[in-house]
Amino acid sequence: MDSPINLSPTQTAVKTDAREAAQTLGTLLRQMPEYEAFLKALQAVNSDPVIERLGAQMRFHRDALQWGRDDGQHAAELERLEMELEALPLVKEYRQAEAQVRQLFQAVEEIISQEAGVAFAANARRGGCCG
Amino acid sequence: MELPEEIRNAAQTLGRSLREEDFMRSYLKAVEEFVADLEARKLEEQLYATYNDLLARQQAGESLSREETQSFYELRRRVQSHPLISARENELRLIKPYLAEIADEISARLGVDYTALARS
Repeated sequence: MDSPINLSPTQTAVKTDAREAAQTLGTLLRQMPEYEAFLKALQAVNSDPVIERLGAQMRFHRDALQWGRDDGQHAAELERLEMELEALPLVKEYRQAEAQVRQLFQAVEEIISQEAGVAFAANARRGGCCG
Repeated sequence: MELPEEIRNAAQTLGRSLREEDFMRSYLKAVEEFVADLEARKLEEQLYATYNDLLARQQAGESLSREETQSFYELRRRVQSHPLISARENELRLIKPYLAEIADEISARLGVDYTALARS
């Protein structure tokens, strides 16, 4: 029986070596204590009812601003809610864990980019308008 | 930040594997040609320096003159139309989908977007 046709033009363009190397790196990063702490903090933030309520309120005010319904109150209220959110202990813990992971990933990124000869993460991002 | 050896090695292996990929060849050649051309390098450096200067002055509350902004746009046009710079940018545009595929492999293991956390 014939092999199925590969309809993805990019799937064959990248060698297995780089894919495997990326998978290995991803697996190792996943096991780092900084990353485990980050995931734990992220889950805590995502399942907290107070944060969920604040998030919904913030979305309401952001939408109002986006649709030009601003009498000055929406911007002020949004700022107040953002401050309230950032002051929560869970959010502070999350920000701290996030900063640690960013530091870790940026150190990794520096090595990849230096070896590859291209700024890897900056050019590998999906979406956005410019690239 | 001091990285564990295992992570450092894995990052080096990935970087080297990427450099050896066929799709990287034309891009790396274009970079090499750009780096070897002093005029192209100076032109691009001048653009970044001018941009940073104008931005800093604007952020400090200064109004920029029409001549200054026109001169900046003209410089940007010259940079963008320089054959070596535009060739490099074009090659970079072509490799981006492949780089994204590789980054997806890391993100899939992590469960979050690697590129969002790794960019400085």
